[in-house]
Parts: sequence; C-alpha cells; structure tokens
Amino acid sequence: MKFDTRELFRKYCDGETFDRIVEMDSVSEMWQRCVSEYGGRIAVSDGGAEHTYSELENDAAGFRTLVGAGEPKRVGILSANSYDFVKAYIGTVTSGNCAVTIPAHLDAATVFGCCMMFDIRVLVYQPDLADKLEIVKLKRPDIKLIPADSLCGEKTGIVACGPQTPCSIVFTGGTTGRSKGALLSNGAVMQGTVNGCYGYPDVFFQRYLLVLPLTHVFGLIRNLLTSLYTGSALFICRNNKDMFRDIAVFRPTIMVMVPALAEMALTLSKKFGRNMLGDDLKCIICGAAMVSPFLIREYDKIGVKLLEGYGLTETANLVSGNPESLSKPESVGIPYPNQEFRITGQGELLIRGKNLMDGYVGVPEDGVYDDDGFFKTGDLVRLDDEGFLYITGRIKEIIVLPSGENVSPAEVETYFNAPEFIQDSQVFEDETEDGQRILALEVVPRATELLDMEPAARAGYIKEELEKINRTLPSFWRVSRITVRDSDFERTPAMKIKRYKKF
Amino acid sequence: MTRQEIFNRLKGILVLTDDSSRQGIDDLEESASLMTDLGFSSVTMLYMVIAIEEEFGIRFDDNIGAADFETLGDVISYIEKKLA
Repeated sequence: MKFDTRELFRKYCDGETFDRIVEMDSVSEMWQRCVSEYGGRIAVSDGGAEHTYSELENDAAGFRTLVGAGEPKRVGILSANSYDFVKAYIGTVTSGNCAVTIPAHLDAATVFGCCMMFDIRVLVYQPDLADKLEIVKLKRPDIKLIPADSLCGEKTGIVACGPQTPCSIVFTGGTTGRSKGALLSNGAVMQGTVNGCYGYPDVFFQRYLLVLPLTHVFGLIRNLLTSLYTGSALFICRNNKDMFRDIAVFRPTIMVMVPALAEMALTLSKKFGRNMLGDDLKCIICGAAMVSPFLIREYDKIGVKLLEGYGLTETANLVSGNPESLSKPESVGIPYPNQEFRITGQGELLIRGKNLMDGYVGVPEDGVYDDDGFFKTGDLVRLDDEGFLYITGRIKEIIVLPSGENVSPAEVETYFNAPEFIQDSQVFEDETEDGQRILALEVVPRATELLDMEPAARAGYIKEELEKINRTLPSFWRVSRITVRDSDFERTPAMKIKRYKKF
Repeated sequence: MTRQEIFNRLKGILVLTDDSSRQGIDDLEESASLMTDLGFSSVTMLYMVIAIEEEFGIRFDDNIGAADFETLGDVISYIEKKLA
C-alpha cells in the first residue's frame, strides 16, 4: 500500500494554513525560511531568557564556525534540554554535519562508548556534565570538545544540504533489544517535522511547552522542529516538577506529552479542582505509548483535544496521526504521506518511505528489513475501511512503560546479573493487584555462592543487595517488585530463558 | 502540623495515584517502600512531588530525586522539615 494522504488532512484546517505546510528537503532549507519569515518572533524561551529566531540564528552561525562546516562529520551533543542544546543542534545540522544526541543521564563509560560507536569527531557538552568526559579526554584526545554555552564572533552561513545528507543519530531500543542509534537523513527528519503539522486547525504561531527530552525522537522532531517550522515559541521546562508553574507563566497552546504525563495532569486537576494545564491549552499531542480512550474523553470535557499519534525512532517519529480521536479513540490515525506499508500475514507492519532511517549505526542490521527494503516495525496492526490504523499488539521484546519510556530488559538485567550470587534474572512488565503496570524482576540465585548463609536469610539478603543496585539505575529502569525464585526459569530448546509476555 | 496529620494528607494524595482507589491505603505504614511496596514509577514520583507542593505549599529542592526517598516515612520527614 502506498500512501499519498496529504489531501486527506486538508479538511482539518483552513486553506491558507494548509498551503503553508510544504515539504522540504533539509533542516537547512527549513531554517532559512524560519529566519527570513519569523526573524523577530520568539523561537525559544529558557531560564527566563527569550531568544528570537534571528538571535538563535546568530548564535547558531557562531556554532557552525566552532563545529566546522567543511567536511561533514558527526557531532555529539551531550546536554539536558536547554537553549544551548537547541543552538548546538541547529548549528550542527545546518552546517552539513550529523548531530548525535546523547542522553544526559549516561555515565562517563557510556559517553565514551558512544563516541567510539558513532565515530564522533566533535563533542558539544553542557559544562556541568564535564565529569562525564573524563574517559573521552584520556583515550580520545583528538575529539574536539566544545562547551555548549560557547559563543563565537566569527559567523558561518547556513550550508545547503540534500535530502540524503545525514542529519541525526537518535538513540532507540530498536526492535531487538540493545540500545543503538538510528541514522536519520535530512529528508527523513523533515518528513517527520512536516507530518507533525497535519490534522490541526491551528498549527502555526503556537506556544509549545517542552517537557520531553530532546534526545528522544518525539521531543526532537514533534516538539522542537515542528515548533520551529511553524514559527511557534518553545518554552523549555528545565525540571518537570515545575511544569505546572511554567504553564501558569507561559500559557502553552499545544503540549507534546506521553500518556502517563497527560494522565497525571488530569489526576492533579481533579485533586485540586482546576485545570492544571491552563486555560489556553487547545491540544495535547500524545504518543510513544498507547493512549486510553478514557483520557481522550476526559480532556474533551475540559475543551482540550487529545490527539494520538504512532511513530518510531526509525521512522523519524510520526507514521500516523489521529485528527478524529474522539470518534475513533482506539485508532492511531491516518498514515502520513510518502510512505508505503506492507502488513504481513502475521499482521506485522512493515514500512518504507521518505521518513525511514538509513539504518542503525554501530550494530548489525540483520533482519530489520525485508528483501525489498521495508523496515519491520515489530508492531501488529490493522487498517479499517476508512484507512485508519490500529495497533493490535507488539511482537517486540522492548517494554514501553506507561510513561512512554522504552526499556530494553536485557540491558537492565546486566546490572542485576552482576553479583556473583545471581545466576540469572529476568526483567518484565507486570501488573499490581490494582491494575498498575510496573517493571518487575525475578532472579534465580546461584546456590553455591550462598552456602555459608542460613537458607532462611538468603532471600532477604538477595533482595536487599538488589535493592541497592536498583537505586543506582536511571529511574525508569528501576523495578518495583523483586522476587527470588527457588527454581530456574522455563527455557527454550536453545537454553535461552523464555521471556514473560504478560501484555 | 503533626506528623500524623501530614501522613493523613499524604494518603489523600496517594489514593489518587491510580484510577481506582489503592487497596488498603489506610493501612499503610511509614515503613512502606515507595518502589517495592507501592510500585512507584518515575511518573508517580513526579505526581507525588507536584501534589505535595500544592497541598502543603512547599517547594522541593531542585536536586531532590527519587533516590532520596526510600519510604513514606522519608517523605513525611522531608515535608516536616520544609514546614518547620
């Protein structure tokens, strides 16, 4: 199935707005238009300072000089959400370089691993994350390090790029377990950016609040780049616990959220008897995890459209979006233009198109494409008679938490397998008695390492030690229940652990 | 505000952390672990922090994270300190 669905979205906005949504080949092309058409408008507000599109371009032009606009290379960006991140990203990709966005929570060894795996030549870093560069400095002194708050008086102009020019490497759990980077071309990133404009009555000149990490494709493309494309203002929320205070000040009109955050905002609104998301909010874009119809209906009651989308890192974010969320709340919407779908006999969705990545970087790609170059999403889907897409299940191992965060169980298990008294472990998604989805851990002890301990005390000791490890992990990797098994896991003929699949 | 009063108001916040009321919320003890007994996720933790700030009119320090609170008792102590 080939989709040329652009015209299907025309009815959701006025003709003038729709005609402003034009496809582009590169971020450079988009950014050139942003600067010339929106120059004096606010582009980014962060930490009390507002930056217009012209000011952002001025700072990005200095950054183009710092990172170098000659031979294309990969530029790592290690920073939490900030104006400096935006400046470094725009400066990097509009100078013909490829930005590798590195999650700020990674430790020094992993940052070094990223530099090696992704062949990073320049690393832009947030100054207070400098301690994460120790290994890089020691083992790769040839990598140029640039503090993200740097300014440069010497300016370099925007470099023209084609749709095939590499643009971004974005982290993903992928469909097979291990974290990796998806290489997205300028054409793919721009298709994802433009897709984010379809299906709303008002998409230009809005006010966005940024709460998702810019290292996540949903935050980077739907939140940042679509905001810039549409001449909107992006308010950066530095600490999510201050989100509602920031909302009161900035009065966002559109928010991009994962369902768990939207649910939380609703719960808080009920608890305190007022709309915590503010009276100006018109629309919530929800994705990265399944959205419950309950949420869509509840938000409609307070005049907020909650629109669900479906996407993957490998498809430069959005594959489909649902402008009819109220009448078709179970659907993830209409497929966006310039894609081809194949649905296998098993129901798995395969995708090819302009928005598709140019492959994973640093890891083998065996089996992720079919013979015709269609990407295997690992998601089970169906299309209804009107062309709306539905996700009916997932065949991949990756656990998508209600918060939208992806967890690769094998990756988390390596930490719990570290103590010598642990023989094997399994991290999986489970449900509490009251229906709450949690990450759970089951372990099989290595009895030989526990012989000098009273049998009755073993389970308590193991749990205590694993709790210590648990507390050192990023919060979304932490398990909420630990069970010490007295027997081995069920195994496959190849002796691999049979994974639990409870959902 | 006594420690017990803080605990009672905290229970009023926690009871909303799921669509249905938590089972046995009244029976919770201060020693209950947020992660392993209550099954807190990062979003539940965020909810609790924001709700506590609204409920008690206090501000959590910016550098406070989930790892700083192992049990409900730890949370109550933090609120007590902020209200003092």
